[in-house]
Order: sequence, then structure tokens, then C-alpha cells
Amino acid sequence: MTSQPESHDVLRERAALHAIGALTAPEREAFESHLKVCADCAAEVAAFLPVGIALAQVVPLHDPPPSVRERVLADARGQPASPRVTRAFVPWLATAAMFLLTVGLGFYVGQLRDRVRSLEVRLRDALVRLDDGERRVAVALRAAAAAEAPLAVLTAPDLQRIDLAGQPPAPRASARAFWSRSRGLVLTGSNLPPLPAGRVYQLWFVTAQAPISAGLLKPDEAGRLSAVLDTPADLPTPVALAVTLEPEGGRPAPTGDQYLVGLTQ
Amino acid sequence: MWLLGVVVKFGGPAAALDEDTVSRLARGDHDALAELYDRHARLMYSLALRIVGRQADAEDVLQEVFSQAWRQAARYDASRGSVGGWLVTLTRSRALDRLRRARSEPQAAPDEMIAADIPDEAPAADRQLVTEQQASQVRAALDALPDGQRIPLELAYYEGLSQSAIANRLNVPLGTIKTRMRQALLRLREALAGEVR
Repeated sequence: MTSQPESHDVLRERAALHAIGALTAPEREAFESHLKVCADCAAEVAAFLPVGIALAQVVPLHDPPPSVRERVLADARGQPASPRVTRAFVPWLATAAMFLLTVGLGFYVGQLRDRVRSLEVRLRDALVRLDDGERRVAVALRAAAAAEAPLAVLTAPDLQRIDLAGQPPAPRASARAFWSRSRGLVLTGSNLPPLPAGRVYQLWFVTAQAPISAGLLKPDEAGRLSAVLDTPADLPTPVALAVTLEPEGGRPAPTGDQYLVGLTQ
Repeated sequence: MWLLGVVVKFGGPAAALDEDTVSRLARGDHDALAELYDRHARLMYSLALRIVGRQADAEDVLQEVFSQAWRQAARYDASRGSVGGWLVTLTRSRALDRLRRARSEPQAAPDEMIAADIPDEAPAADRQLVTEQQASQVRAALDALPDGQRIPLELAYYEGLSQSAIANRLNVPLGTIKTRMRQALLRLREALAGEVR
């Protein structure tokens, strides 16, 4: 079905709208084709064109900001327009800024995550080293304390020397103890028989009430003894020191043979 | 073409000065651009602001039009209209483009809902700026129009809406809109012609 050509009257009514730019693109195209062959409509358009311009001139007048003139002239000089952030660009800029911020934050978060992981690893290493260091310090302190202990004992004002003599199971053995009630006991010995398996030497403070264990002793391969021991708490005045052979771990009271015995002063 | 004779009178020394300025513009004279800006930017900016409604957009339109004038000065044809008419026409066209882009987002409006620009192929020798007095008369005539006539005309001219779109927006039959707009344009033409009769 072919559309009917529009009447001249209909087309002529469009002249005024055409003059003020108020036709749609299809209407305008059809009308301009007609204009080429219709002097009457061309005259009608010409009659209304000043109205179109006048409508542009009746708007309230405002001066543009001076910066626009600068931008226009700078633009013509081929120079980069002065940087500007206008409200018109705010949404675009905001979107771009948010995008960049998101990308940047994502990157930053990634970096932070890596950094945290790295720090965690370093922290674990540091803690391990700290534990190791603390252990080393503890060992050193103990060693220092151990080294200092004999000196402390030997310099004690209440120091007593107790010589222990070998008994029948070990007639060649001998030992010497330096004892301070306040600071402990230093014992050295020699020629102790090697310990049988499952056995250990045990030192006793022999008191009027009962023998009280002072600690366990293990001679070296040459049969030498060296030990620093604390004074048992609430120790009654000892009358002698004795070393017996006891089962591994020691006993609350002597059960084995006496190997060394020495009287206190 | 009695009107052509009238239009020639609209031109005068200012139009001749503009033509000389545009000739210098075409030769790359930056001072010419500054002169042209100083003579026309106020009206162009005001028109752009009336259409786009936002100062920043109007500034952009103004810059775009002068940039276009700078680039296309050599193609300016004085026989098709005055420099002022040319600049105003470009300004309205750019401003409506911007308005339509903003309005049609995110979905483009159908062609039949959008009015075309002022036609380039029209007898543009009549595209001259009117005098201040004529503009005042047109303004008074526009203000005196009944709302039923004025509003559709303003929607067409300053918002670039087609008659169909105006009919839809105002919920008025299309035929009524056509009649009212024609009546309005006739009234304005009479007001304009009152000066030159």
C-alpha cells in the first residue's frame, strides 16, 4: 500500500515549523524536497526565519564567566585548554574517579594482603627465633647460675668443708664437699666405681632424725664427681654426708651400700 | 521576496564588521576570534543556558561553537546569513544536541519525537539577528501569548521537541498543538514585522 502524497496545504503548514527548526527529521526531509519545487513554501519559510532567530534573542541575558573566553582563545591557539572541572563533567569524573579508586583500592588491597602475608611469615620466623633465643638465654642463665653457684657457695660465710672417705665398696674413692646452709653444696670426688646399669649414686645429709637426700650423682668415665646441689629445705643439722648406690631415680631413704662417708664439723 | 530587502536593513555596519572579522578568522587571526567573542558570546551563552539549563553545559556549548567557528570560518558564506545569525544557529543546534543526549540517555528517543535543527538549506539570507527593538517586541508578544500557545512553542524551540512529543507531554491532541503553534508563530511574525512595515 502506497502512502498518499501529502497535500500542499499540509506541507505549507510546516513552513513555519521548518523555519524555527521544529520539524522531525522525516518531516524535514520531505518538506525540503517539496521546497525545491515550491516557491510559495520557500517564501513562507523565509517569512518565518527571522522569528526563529528572534526567539534566540528573547532569552534572559547572562554574561558567560571570563574563564570561557580564555578557554576559547587558548583552544584556538592550539594550546591545551586550561584544566577545568565543571559540574557537567562531575558525573563523568566521579565515575572515572570511582573506577580508578576501585582499581587502585583493589591493587592496594592486593598489595596489603601480600604485605600482611609477608609480615605474618616474618612474625612467625621472629617468634621462632624469639623462642629459640629465650631458650638460649635460659640455658645461658642457667649456665651462668651454675657457674656462679659454686663461687657463691665457696664464698659463703657459713661455709663448711666436709671430706668424704671411700667405704668398702670403693676404698679408693674420695670426695670433698663445701657446704653452706644458705647457699648450697659443692661436691667434687674421684675414683668412684662405674655405675652399674640402672643404678645411681645418691648423696645424703645424715641427720639425727633420718638421712635426707641432697641429690643424685653420676661420675664421669674416669670416676670423677662434680656437682652443685641445694640445701634441702628445713634441713636439721647434719652430722654427716654419705653417698650410697641406689636404683635409678633415687630413693627417699638410703637402701644401698655406702660408698663415701664424711662427718660434718 | 520583499523580505530580503527588509533583511538587508537588519544587517548594517555591525554585520559588515562581523563579515570582515570572520574573513580575518579564516586567515587564523586570533584577535578576530576575540572580537567575535566579545560581540556575540553573551547572546550565545544566554541562549545555550536557556536550552541546556546548566551553566557548565552552556559554557561547553559556547566553547564548542567558537571552536567550530574557528575551524570553519573559511566556509562561512555571507549570502546565507549574517555572522550573528550563523553563530546563534550553531549555538542552538549544539545546545539541543547536548540536551537530547542528556535526555535520551540511557535509551535513545525515536526520530519522530525529535525536532530537527534549523535547516541549513533554507533561504538563509534571512537568517539575520533582529534589532534590539524587534527582540523586545517579540519578547512582549511571546509573553502575551496564551499558555496554550506559548508553552508548545517554547517546548519546540528551546527543548527541541516535535509536535507529537509536545502533544504527548501536554496531553493535548496533536491537531490542537499544530494549530496553537501556528497561531503563536503568526503572532510573533506580526510582532516582528511591526517594526519594519
